Order: sequence, then C-alpha cells, then structure tokens
Amino acid sequence: MVALQLFVNGIVTGCALGVVAISFSLIYSTLRIFHVAHAGIYTMGGYVAYSLVMHGVPDILALLLAMVAAAMAGAAIQVLLYQRLAARKGTHLVVLIASLGLLAVIQNLLAAIYSANILQFPGAWSGEIVNLGDGIRLTKVQFLTVIVCILAYIGMMLFAHRTLLGKRIRAVASNPFLAEITRLRPQAVYVYVIAIASAVVCLPGVLVPYDLGLQPYGGVTPLLTATIAMIAGGVGSITGAFLLSVAISVVQNLSLLVMPGEWSIGVTFFVFVIFMLFRPTGLFAAR
Amino acid sequence: MKIEVSGINAGYGAKTVIQDVSFTLEPGQILAFLGHNGAGKTTTLKTIMGLLAPRAGSIAADGKTLDRLDVAARVAMGLRLLPEGRGIFPDLGVAENIDVVAAANVGPGATFTAEDVYRLFPVLAERRTTRAGSMSGGQQQMLALGLAILGTPRCLMLDEPSIGLAPNLVERMFDQVRDVCRSHAMTAILVEQNVAAAMRIADRVIIMNNGALVFDGLPDEARGSDFWSYF
Repeated sequence: MVALQLFVNGIVTGCALGVVAISFSLIYSTLRIFHVAHAGIYTMGGYVAYSLVMHGVPDILALLLAMVAAAMAGAAIQVLLYQRLAARKGTHLVVLIASLGLLAVIQNLLAAIYSANILQFPGAWSGEIVNLGDGIRLTKVQFLTVIVCILAYIGMMLFAHRTLLGKRIRAVASNPFLAEITRLRPQAVYVYVIAIASAVVCLPGVLVPYDLGLQPYGGVTPLLTATIAMIAGGVGSITGAFLLSVAISVVQNLSLLVMPGEWSIGVTFFVFVIFMLFRPTGLFAAR
Repeated sequence: MKIEVSGINAGYGAKTVIQDVSFTLEPGQILAFLGHNGAGKTTTLKTIMGLLAPRAGSIAADGKTLDRLDVAARVAMGLRLLPEGRGIFPDLGVAENIDVVAAANVGPGATFTAEDVYRLFPVLAERRTTRAGSMSGGQQQMLALGLAILGTPRCLMLDEPSIGLAPNLVERMFDQVRDVCRSHAMTAILVEQNVAAAMRIADRVIIMNNGALVFDGLPDEARGSDFWSYF
C-alpha cells in the first residue's frame, strides 16, 4: 500500500517535471541554447500567479496571466540577450554563463521582492483530498497537476506534428541553414519557441507551488532533473523527455521503500549515469 | 532572371576568398560554374544569396541592385540556393518538408506549388510520410530540388547537386533542371565537380581558380580549348 502511494506520488512529481523537461527540450533542440534561466521563468510564473491571487484574481485567470507574463519575459530574453550574443558570435559557454547570470538575477529579484521565505498560496481547495481508492490519496491540486501536465504533453505533441508553426519549428531545429534560405525566418521562430516554452513551463510552475509552496531558488532542482530526463530520453524527443521525467520521479519515490530519503536522489542519479554509459544518445534518440 | 555580378570581393574574417568576380547571366541561361575545391564557387553563390556581404562590388537581379536586401527578400525575388549536402530537413517527413517550405514561399500565381513538385518527382508522392533523412541519397536530392523550386524561382543556384548520386540519376536530375529552366525562362548556376554532366546541359561555362575567374565562354569553346589547364 505504501509502495502504491509512493508510486502515485512519483507520477505527480514526474508529470510536473515532464512539462519542465519538454519545454526545456523544445528550446534546447531548436535554439541549441542550454537555457538555464528557464528555471527562473518557472519560478517567476509561480510568483506572478501568487501576487495575482493575493489581489483577488481567480486562480485560473492568475495562471493564464502568469503564462502570458512568462511568454513575454521569455521573448524578451531571446531578443535582448541571446539574439545579441548570437549576433556577436558568443560561444556556447558565453551563452550558458549569460543564462546562469540571468537566473541569479531573477532569483535575487524575486527574493528581494517576496523575501526568501516559503510562501503558501491561499485558498483551501487545493489541499482537499481526492481518494483514489485502496487508501491512495492525492490532494486536489496534485490530481489537477497530473491531468494538466498530461494534457500539456499531448498538446505539445499535437502542436509539434500537426500545426504549421510546429512543423516550422521542427524544420528550423532540423536544419537552420536551410530554414534561413527558404524564408522560414529562424530568428522569429526562436522568439516564438522561447515564448511558447516559457508559457508552458508556468503550468507546473504555478501548480506545484500550490502543493509545496513558493521559494525564489526552487526552480533549479526541477530544471536539473528535467535536463537529465531530456538527455536520457534522447534530445529532441518530446515523448522521451516526458516519459523519462516520470520514470526518474517514480524510481526516486519508490527507492524510499528501501533506503532513507537522503540517499534516494544520489542513487537515482547513479542509475542514470550507468544508463548513459550504455545508451549515450538516450532512449528515444531521433537519429 | 538576369543576374549581373560586378567586381565582387568577399571572404571570411581576414581571409579574402574571391576577388574581382564579374559576370552577367541572361534570363534562362544555364551556367556551369566550375573549378577545384576551394576556388571560391560556393563563396560566390553565398554572396549572391546575401549570406555573405561583399567587401566590394555589387550584384543586381533584373537591373535591381541587391545590396540592401536580406536573404529572405532575395528568396522572395526568386533567387534560390540548393546548398551542398544539406538541402532537406532530415528530421521531418517528406510531406512536412514540402508543407513548411510551400507555406512560406508559394503565393497566388506561383510557378511551382506542392502538387507541381509531386508531379515532377513522383517518388516524393510515394514517400510522403517517410522521414526525409532516412531516404536514399538520390531521393533526398530530389526533395532538395523540389524544396528549392517551390514558389516562383527565377534563378536557381545548385551547389554540387550530384555528390553521392549514381551517374544515371545525375543525368536524369540534370535533364529535369534543364527542362524546368527552359520552360520557365529560369536562370541556373550549376556548381559541379562532375564537369561532363554539367557541360552537357550548360549554355555557358565559367571556371574559377584561386578566387578569380579564369575562363568564361561557351561549352564548345571550353571543349576546344586547353580546358584542364584552367583548373
């Protein structure tokens, strides 16, 4: 029974992580930028929603407005930072350091405005218990997280493969040079991609803090785990990134059955390292 | 489309690759643009396309100077480049390749729509859902050519299109290029290592050596001269 509850908890965390991973993966496979500041956008989304909710805005509307704000912030990062670095031929390392610097700026701004303490969303609905039978229990917001994040994954798949913009994004990711000479306007596509990914990452960015509370530095661990899921799943594979996120979280939760909590993350990552030794291109490698 | 290249110099960083390159192509002319590796042929194409800014000289298409136009604007005018070895989106399906490029380039009254491309290259119609990168070299090159002509191309630049293709395929593809150029008064610049195949369809030959033009004439003049000394 404990095992089943841990399994379900792993699914909840994994689905949230999965959306962080697919949004990060969308940026990485298209822009080839290791956009660490995505963790800052993830955190910022939660704080924007928090502020709105505290001012009496309904939860759903607060989530949607946070997504809009994040999309604009993401687009601004591309236009004001990454695009300029690319125009000046900044190397991957320079761009990574710029992104890390930006993450620190976002985190410290949030800490300065909201304090570094953990903030809890008001409203009792999120903590209400949903009974899944057999004594397996989730809070309402955990249940919602699973539903919303799975829908986000399905939506992302449909967007990438069925819509013209999705195909255009995949074309730019596949061959940016050809995209340039066939008028697909890769520079504009990069802005769309980072805006879309920033909006999508707000889904877990808002829902998870409803459960666990908000902290300015809370985005880094999810992002790191998500990048590992992305690499293990095979860079460029949306399904791989999502499934591996769920798998990693489930394994991490189930490992609590046999070892103390402080060991679980270390052991999970050890398993990952072994896995990468045998399958360095990831599970769902595109090529 | 009439192409006038006058006195262009271009290069990368401190290195100058092409010097004082000038030639004029009449509408519908097919140019075999020859020379050994590193002679500056691809650099010339990139400069015409706007991918590389010339340090001196200018380029005009149908009498209109291109100097201030970016790549997208030149493509819209009808300049098209089939880049060497990377003319497709390998991770997308064949139909997806054609759809995205058609959406950005096929307007009302376009010379080549997606249907025209499928008609020209029936093998692509049979492979609509195949991942482009998993097709054979010949099929990939058909797709690349199809992508390059979508919309209203008026000057087609092909950078080593025959690389890695079987000789009979090369002949067929070049015949197709010639037919398309003849029927639509489309200018073509054909950069090739396969000299014989290129000369067969060309009505003009330019040879480049070490960044400069060393021969400019008709294919028969080229054949009649001490041809290989130019390389």
